[in-house]
Amino acid sequence: MDHFPTSWGRPRNDAVDNFNTYPLHQRAQHGKDTFAEGVQRTQQPIVTGTSVLAIKYKDGIMMAADTLASYGSLARFKSVQRLHAVGRTTVLGASGDMSDFQYLQGMLDELVTDEFTAGDGNEFAPQEVHEYLARVMYARRSKMNPLWNALLVGGVRDGKSFLGYVDLLGTTYQASTLATGYGAHIALPLLRQAVETREDTLAEEEAKRVLTESMRVLFYRDARSLNKFQIAKVTETGVDISEPIVLDTHWSFAEGIRGYGAQTQ
Amino acid sequence: MSIMQHNGGSVIAMVGKDCVAIASDLRLGVQSLSITSDFEKIFPVTDRLFVGLPGLATDVTTLREQFRYRVNMYTIKEEREIEPQTFAQLVSSTLYERRFGPYFIEPVMAGMQKTPAGGYAPFIAATDLIGCLNFAKDFVVAGTASEKLFGVAEGLWEPDLEAEDLFETISQTLLNALDRDAFSGWGAVVHVITKDKVITRKLKGRMD
Amino acid sequence: MPDGSFSHPQERQFNPYTENGGTILAIAGADFSVVAGDTRQSEGYSIQTRYAPKVHKLTDRAVLAVNGFAADGNMFVKKVKQRLEWYRHAHAKDMPLRAIARLIQTMLYGQRFFPYYVYNILGGIEEDGTGAIYSFDPVGSYERETCRAAGAAMALVQPFLDNQIYFKNQQAPADSPHPVHLPLQDVLSIVIDSFTSATERHIEVGDGLEIYVILAKGRSAQGLESIRNVQEMSTNPEGDRVFVIRRELKKD
Repeated sequence: MDHFPTSWGRPRNDAVDNFNTYPLHQRAQHGKDTFAEGVQRTQQPIVTGTSVLAIKYKDGIMMAADTLASYGSLARFKSVQRLHAVGRTTVLGASGDMSDFQYLQGMLDELVTDEFTAGDGNEFAPQEVHEYLARVMYARRSKMNPLWNALLVGGVRDGKSFLGYVDLLGTTYQASTLATGYGAHIALPLLRQAVETREDTLAEEEAKRVLTESMRVLFYRDARSLNKFQIAKVTETGVDISEPIVLDTHWSFAEGIRGYGAQTQ
Repeated sequence: MSIMQHNGGSVIAMVGKDCVAIASDLRLGVQSLSITSDFEKIFPVTDRLFVGLPGLATDVTTLREQFRYRVNMYTIKEEREIEPQTFAQLVSSTLYERRFGPYFIEPVMAGMQKTPAGGYAPFIAATDLIGCLNFAKDFVVAGTASEKLFGVAEGLWEPDLEAEDLFETISQTLLNALDRDAFSGWGAVVHVITKDKVITRKLKGRMD
Repeated sequence: MPDGSFSHPQERQFNPYTENGGTILAIAGADFSVVAGDTRQSEGYSIQTRYAPKVHKLTDRAVLAVNGFAADGNMFVKKVKQRLEWYRHAHAKDMPLRAIARLIQTMLYGQRFFPYYVYNILGGIEEDGTGAIYSFDPVGSYERETCRAAGAAMALVQPFLDNQIYFKNQQAPADSPHPVHLPLQDVLSIVIDSFTSATERHIEVGDGLEIYVILAKGRSAQGLESIRNVQEMSTNPEGDRVFVIRRELKKD
């Protein structure tokens, strides 16, 4: 006899004898997807974005990311925006899998719309967006089905600037300078040197220069990067994501370095 | 488990004021099975120099004999005793000879080094299993309890300890580190070396 | 893939865990407890942030230190706090320390087959007014103790504590036996020394130190007055009181 009430009153299955006590029959599995075997989970990122950088400065925060989405080592899409405004207080920057990022964009847009539709005038603070993303990312990693990203969330609310990190494991932290991927190794030391202890005095022009120079350094050393990037600025007045900035690059120095430039012999 | 942990054992050396100390546990085991509680791994090289050889027990014996042979050859050729500094280089090159098939030993040395002025200065050194030398000014540790030894020594050691205070410091450091290490313990031995004498004491420790 | 990685497939599994370094430590006194942790969060050789608190105030007499995988740690603390709030709504009082300890064991064991990868140390004041420390493993084994270190530098700190708190391997003179509990001032010195030592020898420890001090109801703040950077966190100065001491550690 099947003692589980949820199994009662369902279509009978001749393959099993529900009224036998031994051997114990296999209980029918309800609510399981017929095609469960065919459902795939993200086991690796496919189309990827590289580093995102972010710093605090006098008027708020700034974030930078190039516009490349790579397919392995192929520079597949060269004009993808990886910085996304969430409401009027927050910007989200994504590295890692671009399809997972677009899924998150959709989710956040819906969330912002719902909040706007409520009509109570409430808007999400950057801290709240960060917390929300942290919960989503942690929940997905706990289902062993992660969203393969490292995300930076930045913004300003009530005169307080916020910068936070979330990744595919649900790991979170805050700091006045943040970077994902290669940027954490190459650009972060430069950002820290320029920004730490000067968060409240650093001028906009200087902040922009620091990020631009860091993006230049990254372009020279990160093989999955592009010399075309955007800078997002969040201040008390709102989010401003720049048009793509193209850096002019100089490779003449490489000629003199064996193993770097084209070798003539 | 790594071959470095196969027989267990730990050694520590510390610098004091006009003195040095070197100490070790007395356990020899095979994995978690303890065999003897009288396995000394610190050996005299000269009257003012000791070397401790924690690691794989079979290599303790081999290296002790190897060092004895090489120090004797040095003494005969040079017609003088080897200095701690020189011995450290000998240890390093002996181990590096076996760079790609090393002895599983991390030697620790402690002694009094002759100075050009004619006096003696404290000297300690340690190497990894392929002979990378570390001349520390405070203390050196090696063996299965090395992490614990680092922690306690960093808390207890201070500069310019007199011989008796150094003995107390190294003993407390060793004993408390051993009690948290499953592969070291079963008693300990401490040598305190000054320019004109060596004091050797056996310590009773926990036997579990 | 253009790199041909599909032609010889690799077995690769998503690893839901990582280690975020750091160390925590707690010591119980007769009528107080001290719970401390460094504030560095790292992954591999990268320092992610120099300030990510690992010690959390739960109630006016309970403080929880969490160390290991930071995402699990934060989520665990969040859930414990939620359960304590529910308890407050149901019973109109804070949960007693020993009950929080059992709650934590149940919550950890509830995840026995997909554990929270964290070591917990709970410190505070018991209902009888004594200082108490409870330490846990990731799947909920727990024990009340007088002192405990956990995390990256556990191996460095714990034997030092054995020596300085339990007086292990030290023989007391016949006329003056070792004290069972140390005064607050001595405990704070030992905690600070432990962390400066750990910072010196362990790369994952450093940046900042947060020491929470929980004093039993009616106990004076003696032992705290000479300390710099003390901040009171308690909601009711007449009951058990919580203080936090913030200090710098080396940042290299």
